Amino acid sequence: MAGKPVRPVNAIDQTRRMLSLVTYLKERPGARVEDVARAFGISEDELVSDLDVLPMCGTSFRGGDLLDIDTDGERIWWHNPDDVAEPLRLAADEATALLVAARAVATLPGLREGDRQALLRATAKVETAAGEAAGASSRLSVTFESEGGVFADVDRAISERRRLWIRYYSPARDEVTEREIDPIRLVSVGHTYVEAWCRRSEARRTFRLDRVAEIKILDEPSAPPEVELRDLSEALVQPAAEDPEVVIEVGPGGRWVAEYYPHDSADELADGGLRITLRTPDPASLRRLALRLGRDGRIVSPPDLADSARHAAREALLAYDGVGAAHDSRE
Amino acid sequence: MAIAKAERLMNLALCLLGTRRPLSKRELRESIEAYLEASSEDAFSRMFERDKDDLRELGLVIETVENLDGEVGYLARRDSNRLPPVTLDAEEAAALGLAAKVWQQARLAGAASGALQKLRAAGLPEDFDPYEAHGALEPRIPVHEAAFEPLMLACRDRRPVVFDYRKANAARPEPRHVEPWALECWRGHWYLAGFDRDRGAERVFRLSRITGKVRSRGGRFTVEIPDVVTVRETVASWAGETADRSALIRLRSGAGYPLRAKATSVRELGDGWDELEIPYGHGLDAWLVEFGPDVVVLEPAELRADVVDRLRAVAKG
Repeated sequence: MAGKPVRPVNAIDQTRRMLSLVTYLKERPGARVEDVARAFGISEDELVSDLDVLPMCGTSFRGGDLLDIDTDGERIWWHNPDDVAEPLRLAADEATALLVAARAVATLPGLREGDRQALLRATAKVETAAGEAAGASSRLSVTFESEGGVFADVDRAISERRRLWIRYYSPARDEVTEREIDPIRLVSVGHTYVEAWCRRSEARRTFRLDRVAEIKILDEPSAPPEVELRDLSEALVQPAAEDPEVVIEVGPGGRWVAEYYPHDSADELADGGLRITLRTPDPASLRRLALRLGRDGRIVSPPDLADSARHAAREALLAYDGVGAAHDSRE
Repeated sequence: MAIAKAERLMNLALCLLGTRRPLSKRELRESIEAYLEASSEDAFSRMFERDKDDLRELGLVIETVENLDGEVGYLARRDSNRLPPVTLDAEEAAALGLAAKVWQQARLAGAASGALQKLRAAGLPEDFDPYEAHGALEPRIPVHEAAFEPLMLACRDRRPVVFDYRKANAARPEPRHVEPWALECWRGHWYLAGFDRDRGAERVFRLSRITGKVRSRGGRFTVEIPDVVTVRETVASWAGETADRSALIRLRSGAGYPLRAKATSVRELGDGWDELEIPYGHGLDAWLVEFGPDVVVLEPAELRADVVDRLRAVAKG
């Protein structure tokens, strides 16, 4: 095997797919390559590479008992005795993957009732068909958080192509602002977000549904400019390379920062803490974090961010003196 | 050139599914080109064992049968490998199409598409776009934790595990011996519930705090797993969401929307400040400090002292 180029295909997934393909193609003589690729959720190139492998497979290469499947690149023909292909039972991982996902989506608050019912019916049927293989699916569960009422309004606005008016809370500035937005899609990744074109900032923004203080569907049509949909799997807010850098040092009690804030690096410190470097378009928004950390961490740079947290804390303490706080007993 | 693994697996699957009688290893080697090309008997045996395991992971039920001469043979019976009839309408098919796209973890994403492909081969209706059918909804199950896959398999196979775990505020990780029960994803983070053998009690672990590798111990555990595993309740109480008391604060007008959303009562004081009663659970002091000079704690004295203490730590900076 040495010297072989890196193989981009996963042999397990490809085998699984080819076993289903054999059955699928039998029922559809002359199936079109593009239709089959779409039904299987793969590219036409992937399908063609499967079709290159299949004629090498069979019950005996010596006896010449191989699959007879051929293609001209557009259509696919199948000429085998009928008994080589029957639909196969689901594996435990397959049943788990499909059932856990279907149950999770069905619990999304705000999902249309028709969709929820279809999911529940499909789940029940797949459970039955999977039999014992469905058992392991009880070992995994996923909850999507969403604000049902807000979700339903956004969903309706998207399908009716209408603009939304929202009052939205921005934690970075601790303020609620009014905006008109043209919704594009709803994305659930633990929390649920709406990706939209924000008419106020004339830019694409994501809004977390539980931070929407108020929502109204407007009569105006929604007209988001054609934007390329990003892959939101990694992080919803991706810092840009030119964003200012912030360095934070935390003790053991502040290690959670690395779990919640996307960062460039987190280096271990001798006391069991971390030195975390991250980038953000708006360092001032991290004042909250500096205040929250207290003695569990400090902002190393930029210095004006550290200053602003110190000032905020001093000002807050003054207020306590004002309402008769305990006397400052500085050690 | 070596024969690709997928081709080899496919051939083994077809041989085992196609035969009416058990086939011996020798017969299989003679029928499958990749096995004939194996450099030695040993190399073939190792390859064959791995391939059988892989096919079983794909759901194939492979029986091992000994014949009268004591020779072992293998076959995958049609009736134990056939998908029972399942009829799904177009709406149900669209729902499953959406669900199959949800996983962001390679193994489960592959398994979900595999499940859909098997259902497709069994006649699942097509001709739809799941996103069109469901508005523009994209649910995603994020899996960033390396510990996820080994723990998922250990939960499935009921195998005890050991891993190094760093508690939220601990300087160093410690080894934990756990019988893993269930994994749960909440607010985008994965948690494991299980029986902690050293502590002799149920515990919940956050996967992102597992450092290093998850190792399986020998054997399976046989203890009953409780029907209701309370991951979410446990995590919610860590997060201070199970409040048992209430606190009285002053909040600058217009500030602190999330505090207002949680408040049980709000009274305008008229001097640019409001007075709020809010639920008081673990972690409230840290949250209130985030609002800096816009919040003043009035009661109880304990919370007030905690907040002042935190503010002093920052003020000294």
